[in-house]
Amino acid sequence: MRALILMLALASPATTATATPTSYALQPALSSVGFETDFGPDLITGRMPVTRADLTLDFANVSASHVAVTLNVQGAEASFPFAAQAMKGPKVLDSADYPEIRFESTAVHKAGDGATVEGRVTIRGVTHNMVMQAAFWRQKGHEAGDLSHLTIRLTGAVNRSDFGATGWADMVGDQVRLDILARIERTN
Amino acid sequence: MWRNAPTRFGLLTRALHWTMALLIFALLALGTTLANIQPGLANLWLYGLHKTLGFIALSLCLIRLIWHRYSPPPPPIGPARALTNRLARATHTAIYLLLLAIPLSGWVASAASGLDVVIFGHITLPAIAPVSTAWEDTGFALHGLLTKALMALLVAHIAGAALRGLKHDGTLRRMIHGSTSTD
Repeated sequence: MRALILMLALASPATTATATPTSYALQPALSSVGFETDFGPDLITGRMPVTRADLTLDFANVSASHVAVTLNVQGAEASFPFAAQAMKGPKVLDSADYPEIRFESTAVHKAGDGATVEGRVTIRGVTHNMVMQAAFWRQKGHEAGDLSHLTIRLTGAVNRSDFGATGWADMVGDQVRLDILARIERTN
Repeated sequence: MWRNAPTRFGLLTRALHWTMALLIFALLALGTTLANIQPGLANLWLYGLHKTLGFIALSLCLIRLIWHRYSPPPPPIGPARALTNRLARATHTAIYLLLLAIPLSGWVASAASGLDVVIFGHITLPAIAPVSTAWEDTGFALHGLLTKALMALLVAHIAGAALRGLKHDGTLRRMIHGSTSTD
């Protein structure tokens, strides 16, 4: 798939028409938040539903873009049942008291064919800075220059201990790698 | 045949004794292994096996205690006030207490971790402790400490049985065959 920034560089009439901040809504059924962390010699993988995503993208002025995503911790699934229960329990994400994870961008910079998204992530009520790498594509079935339906892939990592999610530190890795695949559609 | 008599062990008591002996040695080996391996997907099932065997051991211990209320086992061979018999009775009592306390402490610690305590792959035991790091840490510390105490007592128990076996006083034969050779 052609990278969107590259497509924008072609400055087709369609992209010129969207050279202002554009709001997008998440397509939940087509989106997923994947994560993985080390478990001894293996990996624990899983998915977490997106409760809400507000995205405003400005392809002419990337720094004017804004991303806010809320994840549903209680709906998280992992590659084996104990991992999901451990992750949602009080020693890790404590989903009973903190049912959501929130990320809100504070700055977006163009980086190669994609963007670097700086923001603040709140896990277990603790907020820290986080940087994610973003790549954009138009969705299948949409012609070049049609920005009505996009796919965004956001990748990044957090150290769970920074947020007090320290359970099973002797068994499970500290770094949690995130791979968010969001499919969005233009709302204005 | 099944019931105990004043001078002989019944079949049920002997079956419980030797089944539990095998089970306890399997549990000690498995527990020691679990304490020294890096957990991973390949060995995760061993934790479930340890819980399952531990629950069986706890159940058999309770069955044995109830059975001995209904059908009391014979007293140790020899004078009741002899030092060896007093030591044997104290060792047996301590082993029974540990066979109750060790699985219970493991159950408490596991429940306090916030994870389901699952046996036989799909049966979830009730959570008998609040989700609490203090309960979990104390439970696992006790589990390890009491297990070491059990190992020491089992060494004493086996050594005592071996000594009696060397003296041919009939104790070992009675636990294997039910009665002494002179019965």
